[in-house]
Amino acid sequence: MQFLLGKRTFLIVLFGALLLMPSLANEYHIFIANLVMLYIILSLGLNMLIGFAGQLAFANAAMYGIGAYGAGLLMKHFAWPYWAAAPGGMLIAMLAGTILALPALRMSGIYLALTTLAFAQFVWWTMTHWTSVTFGAGGFIPPPIDFSPIPVSQEIGIYYLTWGAAILLYLVAKNTMASSIGRAFVAIRDGEVAAESLGINLFRYKALAFAISGFYAGTAGALYGGMLGFVGPESFDLLQMILHKAAVVIGGLGSIIGSVIGGVLLTISVEITKELKWSIEMAFGGLLMLFVLFQPTGLVTFIKRWVPGWREHLQYLPEREAQRSIDVEASIEDGEVSSTDRSVQERQL
Amino acid sequence: MEMFSYLMATGISTGALYALVALGLVVVYKATSVVNFAHGEMFMLGGFLAFTFHVMLGWQYMVSLVLAVIGSFVLGIGVDRVAFRPLMQRQTLVSVLLCMVGLSFFLKGVARHLWGGKGDYLTFPPLVSPEPMQFGGIMIMSQQLVVLIACGIVMVIFMLFFKLTRAGRFMQATADNPKAAKLVGLRVDRVYMMTFGVGAAVAGAAGVLMAPLTLLYPDMGFMLFIKGFAAAVLGGLTSIPGALIGGFLIGIIEQLAAGYWHTGLQEVAAFIIIMIVMIFRPTGLLGGSRRRKV
Amino acid sequence: MGIVKRSVMGLSAVALGAALFSGSALADGHQTQGISDNEIRIGAFGPFGGPVYLYGKLVMNGVEAVFDAVNESGGVHGRKLTLVREDDNCKPEGSIAAVKKLAYSEKVFAIVGGACSNATLASVPELEKSGIPMIINSAVADAISTPVKKNIYTTQLTSSIESRAQLNYALEKGAKKIAVVRMTDAWAMARYNPLIAYAKEKGVKFIADLELQIDAPDATPQALKLKAAGADAVIFILYAKPAAVMMRDALKLGFNPEWVGQTAINDFVAFQKQVGIPGALKNFATITATAHQPTDPEMKPWADRLKKLFPNDELSVFNLNGIGSAQVIVEALGNVGRDLTRDKFLAAMGNIKNFESDAYAGAITCDHPRSHQCNQTPGWLALRDGKITRLD
Repeated sequence: MQFLLGKRTFLIVLFGALLLMPSLANEYHIFIANLVMLYIILSLGLNMLIGFAGQLAFANAAMYGIGAYGAGLLMKHFAWPYWAAAPGGMLIAMLAGTILALPALRMSGIYLALTTLAFAQFVWWTMTHWTSVTFGAGGFIPPPIDFSPIPVSQEIGIYYLTWGAAILLYLVAKNTMASSIGRAFVAIRDGEVAAESLGINLFRYKALAFAISGFYAGTAGALYGGMLGFVGPESFDLLQMILHKAAVVIGGLGSIIGSVIGGVLLTISVEITKELKWSIEMAFGGLLMLFVLFQPTGLVTFIKRWVPGWREHLQYLPEREAQRSIDVEASIEDGEVSSTDRSVQERQL
Repeated sequence: MEMFSYLMATGISTGALYALVALGLVVVYKATSVVNFAHGEMFMLGGFLAFTFHVMLGWQYMVSLVLAVIGSFVLGIGVDRVAFRPLMQRQTLVSVLLCMVGLSFFLKGVARHLWGGKGDYLTFPPLVSPEPMQFGGIMIMSQQLVVLIACGIVMVIFMLFFKLTRAGRFMQATADNPKAAKLVGLRVDRVYMMTFGVGAAVAGAAGVLMAPLTLLYPDMGFMLFIKGFAAAVLGGLTSIPGALIGGFLIGIIEQLAAGYWHTGLQEVAAFIIIMIVMIFRPTGLLGGSRRRKV
Repeated sequence: MGIVKRSVMGLSAVALGAALFSGSALADGHQTQGISDNEIRIGAFGPFGGPVYLYGKLVMNGVEAVFDAVNESGGVHGRKLTLVREDDNCKPEGSIAAVKKLAYSEKVFAIVGGACSNATLASVPELEKSGIPMIINSAVADAISTPVKKNIYTTQLTSSIESRAQLNYALEKGAKKIAVVRMTDAWAMARYNPLIAYAKEKGVKFIADLELQIDAPDATPQALKLKAAGADAVIFILYAKPAAVMMRDALKLGFNPEWVGQTAINDFVAFQKQVGIPGALKNFATITATAHQPTDPEMKPWADRLKKLFPNDELSVFNLNGIGSAQVIVEALGNVGRDLTRDKFLAAMGNIKNFESDAYAGAITCDHPRSHQCNQTPGWLALRDGKITRLD
């Protein structure tokens, strides 16, 4: 029973179906399936940063863009082949992500969120204004990608490359979060001072968290540029960021398999919204609110409660939520330690 | 010199608007430790409500203004009820923030749905004759003067409200020390509701004032939110006078950078300021001392 | 794990083999896709939301108004026209997805639309691959329809046509110090680049080249710079809103040169209101793709029909763009006759000569195979004695 309904089966069925897509479905469905895999990668990266390490960052869409621009520009300006340019783009995105770790050391919560948002807007401004390098607002068309000697078209080649990358990155994420790195992330998320007192080097692990999410987003970006055959700034705006957040929230913060579910569901939800001709803003704004209000730990918790075989290391239990504190600011006034956090207050009173 | 005075004049009047938006943000943050991501939409909807009353229904300007501000107040309470109160007990900052982000997008979509079919950006008739007038050697739009004066009035009303009314004093007390406030029997959740309402009302007023200057469109909320946040952060997120000063500074810096350096900077100045402030002095100019996190 | 591993490997082998053999579907077997005995399905894509929804949703509303009128009188050779809309969110991934969906899932006969230049440009390879006839009615970037592609036509003025017309107008007015104020998005770049190229051709150097954001509430720095440079003509590569802000702030400084607009600014009544200063449009002229203002009596039947279909809407210039393009399509469909195929439709489009629509300023002529840009006639509008007048 566990085997039939468990995590592993789900993944095999999912990736098996994705593998067979190009032979069975029409071009439109193939396009959507490709997007599903990209969003899986994006959710995995973002979830490790927000869900596991607790760093509230709004720069994922910018990293996505940096990956796409990086790979595309290396091909366009320096005539690098795709197999060199794509890793190049990934590394640039990873570097950019790591830079964000610096402000993350000094602040958290809303401050970090809005600083990363400002950074993302700044990146967008650079894409639009540094015309000599990025071709400005009009975007650019990267050179076509040749997969020879394998006789596949660019579209099919990128599709299978994304498929392989998604599986690989899932396994990496799963194993990393199950290792001491994952434990360090969670320790940081649950209480920085306590983590530090346990000997966890905050800077190293925060930088790692940002680097990883940058790398994942950058990989997705490099693949995305290849899929579209076009790179332009409007693909990486605030709406994109909201979609990433929605994917992570819907699937489940702090759950690797949740990220996979979130990626799949997000893409499907976008399609349903378009089909119903609803406003994507109203639909996703509303969806985000509904999930945060009623099922904040994501669908995966719901699944975990009812279906066997979905246990995870460091799973994010709902009970844990109540014990965590909102950005606890303790101040020492008149010799008495008080706090502005409500949940702490409830317990104190 | 002429260029400088023009830039300053415009900077001060747009700065007044940013200051109002920042004021609303800071008031809510001080009381609840939450930055209302949907604050920009309060501003935007205030403007649209005024448009509906004044232009579509033809009511008097002052009446429409007051009604729009009341409408924003109600909207603010709605935000508290929907996004803040259910979450404040159980959830983390991540959730509250995400919920507000979702709300902001939702409201934007609603505005587009309700008012979007009218065509291009909506015009709001100015309060006074739009002819520019002489003012100490430079020309300013009389509407800008009106905005400045009106902002001033709103700020004064706000200060008086805080200092003199009971509700205002309750809000101040809760912001200073929620635990103590609860101990002395203040209904803290009611106070939070008021806080959101007042913050939104201030934003709505700013929206109504700005409408004749800049035309109404559903996406105007986000831009003002970012600039308001930059202003609040510059002044110090926990300082009300800081928000005002921050607003004026941002307005002036934007104009001077665009005028003397490169017009493209007008768009990005606020973001650069946010990043610089966060890196070098996160508490802003007037914010409180750093608290040790435990 | 053994059976799982084996089955995965097996599946992979099968899939790889299938992939190598699966060509990308179709391209030619779909001459009559989207046509049934009593219906022709036409797709449309553009933004439904976001700041540029005017160029998507409203234009599509105009197209539907024409379809409604045509269907009322029995359709085209007995077939009713149905519009299938897709939202592209003004993004490349959106329009590529929309084209794929319309071509392969919805299986429409042809597509009308394309609003955002970047997005539409990104979808061109997909359009060409699928072979589906595409009639652009909103997007202005030249690269979309030039060089000529077999299945892509545009009935909208393209940016290069407009930019050249703008510079010519300024020069005709005798301007010696010409300035440009522009936005920085893709739409603006598609106009700016041909403008610069044409200026070079004419040996004109711009005295000032300033940026203004689409949502800027204020343009004082720009106004000051223009005044300091002493510009006598200013070319706008701006949407109506920033243009209004620009004019207002310049007038505030007492600076009022020749202002040269383009099709993004051609609702005079609205523009006058947006600028807000009476008499402000004295020196303003702009290009129009449409012959009439939405409030003209000639447009009343369309205004009424639009209101009937979309009660929240009032007739606007954006609707007119849709109306014009839809009429061209109906004309081409009618010319083919009952025996309709994609190739015949494209040929009919290529043969359209001097077609007068209710909406466009000039006659529509598609000059296949030389050019697929069917609208080469910019009209000029200005206020003379308080009335909106055509200058040409």
